[in-house]
Order: sequence, then structure tokens, then C-alpha cells
Amino acid sequence: MTARSLVSANDGIGFASVLRIALRELRGGIRGFYIFIACVALGVMVITTVTALSDALTHGLERQGQMILGGDATLARTHAGASETERQWLGARGRVSETATMRTMARSLDGEEQALVELKAVDIAYPLVGAVKLAGSSSLASAIASDNNERRAAVDPVMLERLGIKAGERFRLGEIEVVAAAAISDEPDGLSDRMTFGPRVLVSLPTLEATGLLKPGALVRWRYSLLLDAAQTAADAQASKDRANVASFADAVKRDLPEAGFTVLDKRDPSPRVRKTLERLQQFLTLLGLTALLVGGVGVANAVETFVDRRRKVIATMKSLGAPARVVFQIFFVQVAVMAAIGVAIGLALGQIVPWLLHARFAHVLPFPAELSLSPWSFANGAIYGLMVAALFTLWPLGLAERISPAELFRDEVVEHRGWPRRNLMLLTAAIALALAAMVILSSDSHRIAAWFVAGLVVIFGAFMGLGQLVTWLARRAPRSRWPELAIAVGNIGAPGGLTRSVVLSLGAGLSLLVAVALTDSSLVNEMTTRLPERSPNYFVLDIPKGEFDAVTATVRKSAPQATIDSAPMLRGRLVKLGDRAVETIKAPPEAEWVLRGDRGLSYSAGVPVGSEVVAGSWWDADHAGEPLVSFEAELAKQLGVGIGDTVTVNVLGRNITARISNLRTVNWESLAINFVLVFSPNTLAGAPHNLLATVTLPDTTTIADEAGVARALGKAYPTITVIRVKDAIEQFGSVLEKIMAAVRVAGSVTLAAGALVLAGALATAQRRRILEAVILKALGATRRRILTAHLLEYALIGGATALLAILFGSAAAWVALENVMDVRFSFSAGAVALALSLAVGLVLLFGGLGTWQVLRARPVPYLRSQ
Amino acid sequence: MQHSPIEAPIVDLEGVGLTLTSRAGPVEILRDVTFKVPRGQSVALVGPSGSGKTSLLMIVAGLERATRGSVRVVGEPFDRLDEDGLALVRGREIGIVFQSFHLVPTMTALENVALPLEFAGDANAFATARALLDEVGLGSRLDHFPPQLSGGEQQRVALARALSRRPGLLLADEPTGNLDGRTGKQVVDLLFGLHRRHGSTLLLITHDDTLARHCERIVRMADGRIVADEANVPVAGPLTGVAAQ
Repeated sequence: MTARSLVSANDGIGFASVLRIALRELRGGIRGFYIFIACVALGVMVITTVTALSDALTHGLERQGQMILGGDATLARTHAGASETERQWLGARGRVSETATMRTMARSLDGEEQALVELKAVDIAYPLVGAVKLAGSSSLASAIASDNNERRAAVDPVMLERLGIKAGERFRLGEIEVVAAAAISDEPDGLSDRMTFGPRVLVSLPTLEATGLLKPGALVRWRYSLLLDAAQTAADAQASKDRANVASFADAVKRDLPEAGFTVLDKRDPSPRVRKTLERLQQFLTLLGLTALLVGGVGVANAVETFVDRRRKVIATMKSLGAPARVVFQIFFVQVAVMAAIGVAIGLALGQIVPWLLHARFAHVLPFPAELSLSPWSFANGAIYGLMVAALFTLWPLGLAERISPAELFRDEVVEHRGWPRRNLMLLTAAIALALAAMVILSSDSHRIAAWFVAGLVVIFGAFMGLGQLVTWLARRAPRSRWPELAIAVGNIGAPGGLTRSVVLSLGAGLSLLVAVALTDSSLVNEMTTRLPERSPNYFVLDIPKGEFDAVTATVRKSAPQATIDSAPMLRGRLVKLGDRAVETIKAPPEAEWVLRGDRGLSYSAGVPVGSEVVAGSWWDADHAGEPLVSFEAELAKQLGVGIGDTVTVNVLGRNITARISNLRTVNWESLAINFVLVFSPNTLAGAPHNLLATVTLPDTTTIADEAGVARALGKAYPTITVIRVKDAIEQFGSVLEKIMAAVRVAGSVTLAAGALVLAGALATAQRRRILEAVILKALGATRRRILTAHLLEYALIGGATALLAILFGSAAAWVALENVMDVRFSFSAGAVALALSLAVGLVLLFGGLGTWQVLRARPVPYLRSQ
Repeated sequence: MQHSPIEAPIVDLEGVGLTLTSRAGPVEILRDVTFKVPRGQSVALVGPSGSGKTSLLMIVAGLERATRGSVRVVGEPFDRLDEDGLALVRGREIGIVFQSFHLVPTMTALENVALPLEFAGDANAFATARALLDEVGLGSRLDHFPPQLSGGEQQRVALARALSRRPGLLLADEPTGNLDGRTGKQVVDLLFGLHRRHGSTLLLITHDDTLARHCERIVRMADGRIVADEANVPVAGPLTGVAAQ
């Protein structure tokens, strides 16, 4: 056979042969691939779990739409209930239930105890779907039954506790006494109401009427739930018909009640707020999962490098036997692909099991039932990400494998192998990286945030790779220490194939993330516990009738003569149009979306409000009487694409009001002073019935008892106004934030777990070399303490360098998030730094220490003999 | 306990046995070995593979513990020392040359040779190491890492390292086993030259009878026992005709 025919014979090797050889090569088992598989499995598991859980929750939300909404559709409006015409219009379309919700105060009969409650008044038809569950066997109808002698309410037990009363006892609501007749254990449509600040109190509409709380301008949200006639009859008909029917209802509202100003929701999307939150959460957690997967990718690359290194002679032998580079690549690619597939399969399986476990543990805290099922999308999502990341990190080392020369068979010396894979493989690796980035960005709701995230990851990975090189470079050039332990440690750090790169890369991203989370958390906590209360008022007082403001002020001053009281007119309305664009059609950036959704607080003012600064245009004259004008918050105006001269249409009390933007102003939201996105010229809104919102700021020296005395005095004198203690609100927000940050921290730890896996893999790979080195040192007279010290120094130096860079990146990320996105002042926390340092050094010391323990225990003779 | 350096043998093994546990059960590696080496002597340990030569050498080095019998090396009762005590004795008194060199791959030739001196807190570690590398003909390769050196060069670095603290006892386990004939002979010339110049005791394992005949005494082992122990008149002169520089 000629040389030429040999080449062509090898060139002609089919995939079946490649597969056969590859599988034969795998006979040695998957030892050395455990970390590879674990890294892929962990990342895939996180992504699959997140997708499966999110699918389950989204399906749950959609399937339970009618229950959550309390009907097929709801219409809601603040201040004004439905007019007679509107009632007729609604009544003609199906069964209607009317509810009114508002924030108010419940008080003990002696007025000594009071609590902010979420009052909900319902009609006899309520609830159209599901049932209100009450403790004991009482029915809702009897629990809230009213006559002129006795008014009754069903209440959240938390309210009883706050007022210090028992079920069956009386309390004050507005101007009347009410019996707390039953305790609520479940409310079917609780999710559809606004974010709740206090315990629920359920009463009948006539009871609400009797409380005296329904004064003109009171912040009451009227909601009409409908069970559509056609939908009812179509219960057995196809679901698509039903949905079409719901959709046509929404269109009918727009057509027939164009200026009613109702916020319309239907069961297809019963809670856009919750749905959006779920979507964001899914995207955020997917990004974290992807980070974990990418960190695991370092372990994947390490494993493949080690695998190739151990197979050098085999590869050289194959090549000496005539295998072309392409065939060598294919053989090893198949083997690595099998490992990746095993990792992906394990990750997918766990990703389907974990949601069930989480659901079993946490289902009771969900506001609606999740519908867990085998989610094909979660399978696809996890598998695609897993395989792409595996390919991204394996092509390069495999590309180097095919370059191994058969001449290595004739060389005994150990030389450092450096080089580049062939061009096509480098291009393919780059293409996979770009495709991955594109997938992340395009599948995200906010392309901008996802793009920043991807860019951040690239920077972080690049920087930590650079740090690895830098530390190695410095160690190689550092003057040799006179202290032998340090000299050994520095020598190891600078050694080719040392641990530095793996440690730095594996822990860097996870630590940066945790530092960012810790610093964001501490800055937010600092803002809330120190800065906010320092500058914020003590009380918000809602629903002060215009005519009673002076009397209210006098009452406050009687208890606290030094009190500062600011007030502003307050109405609630809905943004309907920006210029000619209906708000439904506007695609707003996520940070500005809230302005367009639901009710907004609106105000008017003759002069520039305190805490605001006009940055464009000019404020109107105090006695402006011409075209209605409005001042828009500058940042939000920019995000929504409106400017001076544009018009804004709001619906207040069922009437559309259009005003022209005359100026833009910045608002210092953190001051917690009275601030509004939209402030109108007085002539625009002064005619509409409304109340005042006031803040009460007490001197710093005021005791808690005196502070409480102000609220009590107000409560006793004005039973219909609502007093909210700012500190309580901040604390309540703080406790929610705490839970969110804890969840984020847990999610972020997954990245660190992936890093720990990679670290364990890198240390395991280096273990044989380290044992041999220790054995030689022992033979040269080094004590165990000396070897231990050298190792600990090495770990501490690498861990410390990693932590320092992680602190830098984590701080930068937290600074950007806080100052640019959340508008909260960044505050550095020594605790966060200590956390990063101790985690980095601790993890490296833990894993390294375990390795060193084995090193020190190793019998020298087998190592010295076998070489 | 101090012994007179003139009377006490530097290696004093009395009824030493070594039994290791393998999957197949206990394996007796050494059986009742009694073996003494006076200071300054050169001894060749010869015997077929598996005869227990290396195990005996490792026991003398304090890298393996005897299961039975008493081991006293450089006047120290090894069976009464812990692992770190043995390491300290090794660092002070014993130099070892391995078949596979066992240089620390992350350190240059100079750093490898200086390391035992650094352990001893020697302020002139690097000057001494430089002089030793000069002595073995590697004065121009001081900053090379082990992978950048040939096998012969690596073994010369190992030799310089073994001698860096002027040990009383030099142990060599097949020092030429991984080297080609010519390089091996150069290393042996160097080894014996240094042994003579430094006045250390040399205990050498070899398969090579020609090499063994360079020693003053040849001890033969088989099946874990010493089967012959004979005095030898060393062959004079270098093996290669090239003396160490």
C-alpha cells in the first residue's frame, strides 16, 4: 500500500468507525469526568428548574384567572363608582359584583389602639367565583350582615391582635362601631387588589356607607367583577370561543365606555403585575443559572484539558498509526459529547424533580396554585443552554488535542504545550459565544439589561482570566523570599499548570455576584434604616377633607407644637394617552412601565412643590387660567418619550382631562416628602372633589410615646382620616426586601457552588503533582508543618487576590445598580468585604486543606518508586 | 544519646523486617536484615528486582518505617522519631538521589539545590547552591526549570541538591537507571568524585555490576534478605575518563 493510499484510506474513515473507536476509548470509564458532568448538570438543573417553575406559575395564573380575578373580567376605577348608565351597561353583559376597597384605620373602642387596615366592602353577589373561607362554620353573608342595630365584619386575625380584641368584640371603623364577627382564612380574589399594607376587613357596602368614609374625594377603588353571560353558557364550549368572548368584551368597554377611565382586566391575564414579576424573576434567575453554567464551563474546560493531557501518548500513537487530525478531533469530540449529554440528562432530570420538591415545601406561601407538569420548554431551554456552554468550553482544548504531534512518542521530557486550535474551530467557538449572548439578550424582556449583564459577564471573565495571568506572572518574577514556605507557595502560584488560573476563574464570578448582592443589600438597608427615617416625615395622613385641614393641623399642634405639616391635594387617576398614543400601545422601558399601569396619584400646585426642581421649561403663574398645564417628572418623561409641549391625558372620576407639559422637574423621591409624577396647574383639577394628603414631621427629640400620641389624637378627633406611620411602612417594605435579598443570595450561591465544583476539580487534578512535590520536600527534610504552611500561604494568596478583584467588581456592579437603576446612594460595607474575603479564602482553604491533608498523609515510598 | 563518631556505624540496622499489606494479603518485603555501615564507606546494594533493595534504602532514609527490628541511622533511633523528627534528621544528615531525579518542577535548578539549605535557615543558601552547581558542571543552567534540562542534567542537579548540606550519608537509588550509558557514567563519576571529596558515606543501589565494583563493599540481596556481604577493592579511576569539573 502506498503512502498516498494510506492517507486516502484514513481520510475516508466513516462516522461509524469514529464512534466505535471513541466508545472503545471510553472503556476506561468516566473517571476524571465527574466534575465535568457535575458542572454541566448543575447549570442545566438551575435553568431547567427556573423555567419549569416559572411555567408552572404562569400556567397556574392563567388557569386560575377567573378565580384570581373573581370573574371573567373586572373594571376598576378610583374615587367614583359606576354611574347608573354604566351599571346598566355592565348588567346587560352578565352577572356583576361590586366591591370597594380603601386604606383606613380600625380603632379600639377607647381609641387607644389603632391599625391601618385594607377595608373591602362587597355586595351580596360577591364572590362570583370561589368562596371566602372563614374560621368556624359561619358564612360570609352572616359574617358581614348589617342592620341599623349591629354592623358586622369579617376580619384578618392580625387586626384583632393589633387592636387587642377578640372575635365577637367591637371595634371602630370610621364613625361607627363594628363587630368583628368572623376571622378570614382565605379570600379568593385577594391577589387582584393593590399591594396591601394592612390586614383585611370585609364589610358589606351598606356598612361602608355607614362608616362615613365615603366622602367625596376619598381614595376608594371601585371594582366590578363580571361573569359574562355568553361565557357562562359557553362553559362547555370550546375554550377558544370563551377567550374570544372575553376579548370582545374588552373591546366593547373601549368602544362603549371610552371615557369611563376604567382599568379593564380579564381572566386571560388576571394580574399583569404578578405576570410581569414572574417573567422578570424567570429572566433574572435564568441569567443566574447561566452564570453558574458558565462558571461550570471553566471546570468543563479544565476537565477536557486534563483528559487530553492524559491521552497525549494515545493521540500521538493514533497519529503515528496514520489518523488524520480531523479524525482525532472527532474521536475525542464524541467522547466529550457523550459526557456533556450525560451531564445535560442529569441536569434535566433534576430540573424536573427540584420544582416538585420546592412546591411540596413552599406551595402554601403561593398566592395561587402552581400547575406543575413536565415542561417541554424547560427541557429544551436547559438542554440548549447546557450543550452550547459545553461546546463553548470544549472545542478549544479539543482543538489543541488534534495538534498533538506523533513526535511526542519519542520525547520523554515534559514540555509546556502551547498553541492555537485551527482557525475554523476558533471561529466556531466565537460563533457559539455570540449565539449564546444573542439568545440571552433576545429572550429577555429588557434587551438592555440583558446586554449589560452579558457585557458584565464578559468583562468579569476576561478580568479574572487576566488576573490569573497577572498573579502567575508576578509570582514568576517575584524575588525569592528568604522564608522557604513563602518561596514554595509563590513558586507554586507561578508554576505552569498551577492552580492559580482555575481558582481565580472558578471563584471570581460567583464572589463578585455575592459581593454585589451583599453591598446592594447593605446599601438598601442603610438607606431604609438610617437615611430614609432621618429625612422622612413621621406620618402620612390620607383623606383629609379640604375643609378640615386647619382643624387637623390644630389637633396635631396640640399634641406636638413643633410639628411640621405639609400638604398637597391628592386625587387618583389613570394615564390614558401620551400625545396621541394610547398608553396600551406604548412600549415603555421596564423602569417606567409602572407609570402607565393602573391608578396614579395626581396633584395640582400653584408653585413648585418642595423637594422638586424645574430642569426644563417654566412653572405656570400662580393664577394661571388658560390651557390646562402639567409638570412631568424629568427622568420618567425621558423614558416615556415625552417632552415639553406634548399633551398628557388622564382620566379622573370618569372624565378625560388633557393638559400640555409646560415643564419637567426632578423629584427627590427618597425624601419621602409629598411627590407626584404629574403635578397639574390648579385650574385643571381644583374643581374635582378631592381630599388632601399631608405629612407630619416631628422634631428628632420626640419620644415614641409622643409620636403615638399624635396618631391617637388624630384618630379620636377624625375617625375617617387614615394615618400611616412611615417607619412601619418602611419596616414592612424592609421585611419584603429582606426576603427578596435572601432569595437572590440563595440564587447567587448557585454560582459559587459551581465555582466550588470547579475548584474541587482543579485541586483534584493537581493532587498527584502536589503529593509528589510534598514527598520530595519531605525527602529533603521538610516537616509537615512546613508543607502545610506553604500550602496555606499559597491558598491564602490566590484566594485573597481573587477576593480583592471580586470586591472591586462586586462594588462596581452594586454601585451601577444602586446609583443608576435604583437611585439609592451606594454605601460601602466592611461586612460585605469580609464576606467575600472569608468565602474566597475559606473555600480555597477548605478544598485545598482537604487536599493537603491527603498530601500530608501520603506514604512517600510509592510515589518515589513509581516515577 | 551520643555515639562516638569513630566507633558507631552510621547505618545500624538490627533484625529489621518490613511487611506491607496488599490486596492479596500481607507481603514480607524484608526479613530479619541486620546491616551496619561504618562512616565514610561506599556500599553497593545489588540484587534482582523485588529483592528489597529500595525498601531497605527507604528505611535507612526514614521514608519507610520498619515493621520489626531496630533502625539507628546517623546515631538517631529512627523507631523513636515521629515523621517530622525523621524529616529534620534527613534534612541535616542524609542526601538522597533518586532514579527519577524528583526535582521540584516549579523551581529552577538553583532554587532546587538551595531548598534544603533554605530549610536549614542558611543565609548563604544561594551562594552555596551556585558553587555546587558549578561543581557538577551546571553553572550556566542555574535559572533553568527541570523540564528545560536533559535527564543527565536533572540528575546532576539532584546530586548537587543531595550534597548541598554536606550530609554524612548519601543514598542513591539507581542514579543512572533513567540515563543513557554515557550520561550515566558521567553522573557516576561525579557521584564518586563528590563522595570522595566530601567524605560522606555512600549507599548505592544498582543493577550494574561495573558500577557496584566502584564501591568498597558489595551487599547482595534476594527475597528480602542479605545473601552476601563482601568487601571489594574499588576499581580506580573514572568510568568515562572524564572527571567531574
